Amino acid sequence: MDNDVIFQPLKFRNLTVKNRLFRSSISGRFDNYNGSGNRARINWESKFAKGGIGAIITSFVPVHVRGRILPNYAMIDNDDKIPFWREVGKAVHEYDCKFIMQLSHSGRQRDVPGVENLMNKSLSSTDNMDTFHGLLCQAMTKAEIKETVQHFADGARRARAAGLDGVELHSSHGYLITQFLSSAINNRKDEYGGSLENRARFLLEIIHAIRREVGDDFHLQAKISAVDNNNALYPWEKKGNTLEESIQVCKWVEAAGVDAIHVSIGSMFPHPQLPSGGFPADELNWWYGGMASSGKRGFLNYTMFHYKALRPIFLGLWNRTKKDRPVEGVCAVEAREIKKHVKVPILNTGGYQSGALIRKVISEGYTDAVTIARPLIANNDLPHILQRGEDPERPCSFCNRCLINAVANPLACYDQRRFPSREAMLEEAMSVFHPAPYE
Amino acid sequence: MSVAKTRSEDGILTDEVRESPVDQAIFGTRRKLLLLIAAVLLVLAALAAWKFLTDKPVVYESALDHYKYGSIGSEPGGSLLQTVGGLLPPYRIFRILPKIAPEKLPGGYASLGLLFEKDHDMPIGVSRRWRLGFDQVGLNCASCHTGTYRAAPGAPPVIVPGMPAHQLELQKFFDFVTSAVLDNRFTADNVIGLIQEDGGNLNAFDRYLYRTQLIPRTRETTLELRSKIAELLGDPSIQWGAGRVDTFNPYKAIQFNWQLGSLPHSELIGASDFPSLWNQKPRVGMHLHWDGNNDSVDERNRSASLGTGVTPVTLDRPALQRVKDWIMVLPPPKYPFSVDEASASKGAAIYQKLCVECHADEHFREGVVAANAKYVGTVVPIAQIGTDPYRLNSYTEKFADQQYSLYPDSADRFTHFRKTYGYANHPLDGIWARAPYLHNGSVPTLHDLLSPGKDRPKTFYRGYDVYDTAKVGFRTDVAEENGRKFFRYDTSLPGNGNGGHEYGTSLSEADKQSLVEYMKKF
Repeated sequence: MDNDVIFQPLKFRNLTVKNRLFRSSISGRFDNYNGSGNRARINWESKFAKGGIGAIITSFVPVHVRGRILPNYAMIDNDDKIPFWREVGKAVHEYDCKFIMQLSHSGRQRDVPGVENLMNKSLSSTDNMDTFHGLLCQAMTKAEIKETVQHFADGARRARAAGLDGVELHSSHGYLITQFLSSAINNRKDEYGGSLENRARFLLEIIHAIRREVGDDFHLQAKISAVDNNNALYPWEKKGNTLEESIQVCKWVEAAGVDAIHVSIGSMFPHPQLPSGGFPADELNWWYGGMASSGKRGFLNYTMFHYKALRPIFLGLWNRTKKDRPVEGVCAVEAREIKKHVKVPILNTGGYQSGALIRKVISEGYTDAVTIARPLIANNDLPHILQRGEDPERPCSFCNRCLINAVANPLACYDQRRFPSREAMLEEAMSVFHPAPYE
Repeated sequence: MSVAKTRSEDGILTDEVRESPVDQAIFGTRRKLLLLIAAVLLVLAALAAWKFLTDKPVVYESALDHYKYGSIGSEPGGSLLQTVGGLLPPYRIFRILPKIAPEKLPGGYASLGLLFEKDHDMPIGVSRRWRLGFDQVGLNCASCHTGTYRAAPGAPPVIVPGMPAHQLELQKFFDFVTSAVLDNRFTADNVIGLIQEDGGNLNAFDRYLYRTQLIPRTRETTLELRSKIAELLGDPSIQWGAGRVDTFNPYKAIQFNWQLGSLPHSELIGASDFPSLWNQKPRVGMHLHWDGNNDSVDERNRSASLGTGVTPVTLDRPALQRVKDWIMVLPPPKYPFSVDEASASKGAAIYQKLCVECHADEHFREGVVAANAKYVGTVVPIAQIGTDPYRLNSYTEKFADQQYSLYPDSADRFTHFRKTYGYANHPLDGIWARAPYLHNGSVPTLHDLLSPGKDRPKTFYRGYDVYDTAKVGFRTDVAEENGRKFFRYDTSLPGNGNGGHEYGTSLSEADKQSLVEYMKKF
């Protein structure tokens, strides 16, 4: 297909990507426990680069161990991580693929804290525990805020030093920066809470600190949840930020110097509306056990997942708002609204797989590019397929088995229906370990 | 981080149990939850203890009300696991019992001669007490020792405490209560429905307890009670009638599990009149009961209380003592009609000649026993007195023996009962209110008693309370009034004989009149 909008380069202020397909942030537990890297991540990211993706946004990369979501996720908390990330970047660049590091801090949404964090509570804007798992936290002091802002800036400096192509602030999905932004979560009484301006202060300080650290000529994008829908799971919770509030945040973020905005939704992750698709109770029974001790509500949740008779109670709550949105392009509408109000390019995530839909949202001004995770796990070469004007023969079913497995197992497609056998599925899952370090 | 250290006995650190912040939060919540559950359980246990262990009688300030309505402990009691005592079903059930089997008691309890007063929903002699989680009812002394009289058919009845309940049909009362409880209509649905209609306002918990505990238990205990005294209730030849009770035969069955059916039929005929309860103080040391089988007022009181359903476990000693203290000095009622003093003084002289040795005189009401009343309170052999022997014979030596075996290790053990072979001479205080006369109530009036046995009324009606001032006694010619049928007393039946006590029978009619006139002053 000539002149396919998907395969037109996308120019940012400091970065040009060869097409409009980004691999959105996703990872499995295949780095070293302590957050140092190994061969597996190089193998993992290379799969997508080889498959033709224009740019890869890394896994959730914690800027501090206290802000991790799971052990075995590579971090950027120290200069000693720079050589590893340089190697990953190099491997990706071999396929003319850009590599953007997602600078992250879990805040209270620390699914499996690991032994390093067993005896501390996570840092957040609030003392109120997370509503899904009951993960405990404490409100950051101003000194801790200042320190954390610097951790983000240091992370950006290290990413640039590693030769990566840019950084993305994970200011969405309920992680630390969302915990400041969201009116449903942030209950501070100081200048970091209350008004929208105050709630956005933490994010804007991070952007300014990064710009101070790395200058204006390094790609910096921010991922924003366009709407919180914080009451999607438990209807008695507060609703959180509206689209109008998020548009205002995006304007401030743009003014502060970001080069792109990555639009998503949801005040937590996973959220009933994102990632779209199923929520497999059998997988939850198998793998959620590892999270049962993470928070106050872990055991209760696990009980709900374990007993078949109780599953409908949880799934009833989880699924009740899904009908409001499509599975593919789940928040395209919000992306379009934000795009109307900012000049920097927009990236949009949320179940993109069909070529027709991707072309539509790009050509009709919903977004400038799409970011994809699950369909790329199912078909690493989805860009090549799309480039041929085709759609995948064995598409992603959006079953979300990958999502639930991620807390315990190597990230991969665990939808057995897509494979000739279980063995074939597992062989594909374990392929991330090939080549092995000493082969 | 909290650290709990566990040391062995010799002080060596053997383990450290640590808690993460999540543990602390969870355990803290769980501890609070457990505390809450424990607190709730504690409150429930306290409420249950309050409900089921509380023993609280309805208390009356005045001694008179206590006598009429106060509990002496005759309600069922003991423990939930082993309930003892009591003859009546719980309060709520007792109230609606006449509605369970309406044809058995169309006139309600009042038609049995139970006395109702304004502002009291229970009749005189029926006490209320909270026991075993429910409002219970029991009998007290006043049930059998409170009577009424009227000046004329239209006059209001005057209630006289301590007076024999000459109007009460106790046998029919027990027959009704037990047969209504054992009636097929005594079902949980029916009983609970009637209680709610009666304003019972039972909550769900109480309804559950009624359905599963109270109603089945009431049936069980009633079945047991009824089966023990079946011979006394179902036999038409054994009729206590109004104003009478067979004191000792139910006692044999209930306290000693005697098989009444195996006794000679004649022994089961033992009904005698309720005595008066006033002025007990000067009676101390006299032979009490009709046959004089006990000379201890205390024992007589306790024994009589057994008849109301108390046991040593359930007896409310202070309450009974309060009754005793009151009846010790309760004055006999003064004759409420006019007395012909001239005639009475003539009668006094005759009395001094013929009667005083055995019965003391008018001053007994003030506690003064006439110096020449040498036989008062003693037993006259049956051959000499010649009155009906059935009551005497129903109290046997074997039974007296067994009375000593009752509660052998307690302070309540009886030590004064004995078998006698005659009837006791009783003081005649308030005699005008103690009609009809002789131990079995076989002679309607004092005047009739002065007739030879063969001339005394053969049949008459008992239970009617309009007074006959001419003959001194109640009118006996009324068979029915306002639907209440009175008991037809037939002196030809066993136990009802009206012979004997042939004293003064040969006096002139005028002397008889004078003697009777004098006794109005007693």
